[in-house]
Amino acid sequence: MTAPRFGSGPFPAGADAALSRFSPLSRILFFDDFDRGLNGWTALIGNYEGTLDSMLPEYRDLRPPMLSNLSMWDTGTVGALDGTYAMKLATRPTASSLAVAVKRLTWRHAGPIQMEVFFTYKPEAVALELLDTGVRAFGFALDIQVGDRATGPVERVMPHLRYLNALDGRPVERWQFKRSIEPLRDIGGSGKTRSHFHLAATGWEDVPGGAQRLCYNEIATKHNWYYVQIGFDLESMSFTRFRCNDRVFDSSAIAPMRFPAMPNLWCMLNPLMWVEADADSRAFLYVDSVVVSAELDA
Amino acid sequence: MIRRSHTALVERNIEWSGAFATEPYEAGWASEALFFVRTLRPATLSPNASAVVQVSPDGMVWCDEGTVVSLQGDLGQTFCRVREFGGWLRLAGHLPPGETLAVTVYLVLKE
Repeated sequence: MTAPRFGSGPFPAGADAALSRFSPLSRILFFDDFDRGLNGWTALIGNYEGTLDSMLPEYRDLRPPMLSNLSMWDTGTVGALDGTYAMKLATRPTASSLAVAVKRLTWRHAGPIQMEVFFTYKPEAVALELLDTGVRAFGFALDIQVGDRATGPVERVMPHLRYLNALDGRPVERWQFKRSIEPLRDIGGSGKTRSHFHLAATGWEDVPGGAQRLCYNEIATKHNWYYVQIGFDLESMSFTRFRCNDRVFDSSAIAPMRFPAMPNLWCMLNPLMWVEADADSRAFLYVDSVVVSAELDA
Repeated sequence: MIRRSHTALVERNIEWSGAFATEPYEAGWASEALFFVRTLRPATLSPNASAVVQVSPDGMVWCDEGTVVSLQGDLGQTFCRVREFGGWLRLAGHLPPGETLAVTVYLVLKE
């Protein structure tokens, strides 16, 4: 029996009210509140050599993040969960268009890490209709590689989770993970650059028990914030925790992509988030705040 | 607090023809902006080819802001300045039949 995560005493005076809604591990690697800017979350671009035209086509137009105050045509500004601004990902108004944000760092201890996110998603309010199938999916991932002196498997590991909200206009409302590997393709002619499109539509599997109906709240201009918690162990390279709101899923039943390490990504730790359109209208993912925490050796 | 700034690639290596508009970009936190339009491949354009800055309260309905940026067929780039733009910004324009322009568009924002 693990210790309860909620105490019985009053909220301690002087404690951090903004962090209190998170359940971080013992050390916080970063706490990004988008009222302070984009905090290093940037656009994802595919590898290229010589010309941008050498990039895999799927990577050429991944839309970049921006800071949004969630202003709506019918009610004005929503604001963020905390403060005014959230990070916004917005697709083009084209089915299958993707917007992706990535933050790039490296890890220092092969132990447990955890990503927690407060987010919301909506389609663009292009019609006075429900539009609840306008967003195909949103997701959270880590892109990890072992250290250059790893004693175990010398791997790159990519835990990916997405909420498949709708597909081809039909509601799905289910969490999925992806362990199947997309083909690695050579880029340019030097033999040194390769690329694979890990966000491709293929290879996703249902999280067992992963059907979850979120609070869409009826129209495209009402936003309710959600919580997601993803734990991953950098030693065993396996999921340790997957929770969204009130639902805790069986993390032993989901697995990351694993494939041989690449030549220059040692100790990489890149969190990613994305949103994908299902209709020919823009799909939005808003992120109020993110905490990535870890258990460290010192 | 040091002034925050951000550069967004609102278009990268895209070909404009006919009516075009950049994707809406939210910049309510910023007080000044520059649009840079970089020509990636030589093109033949009509004299006075240009795009206009547009603003919007909701990212869906747009008005011309009054600022114009010229487009050039030679390799290189042009820019324009805009202030007091509210929340959303985009560039919009129209190229006559037969004209295309390969561009990257930067939006440079500062508090």
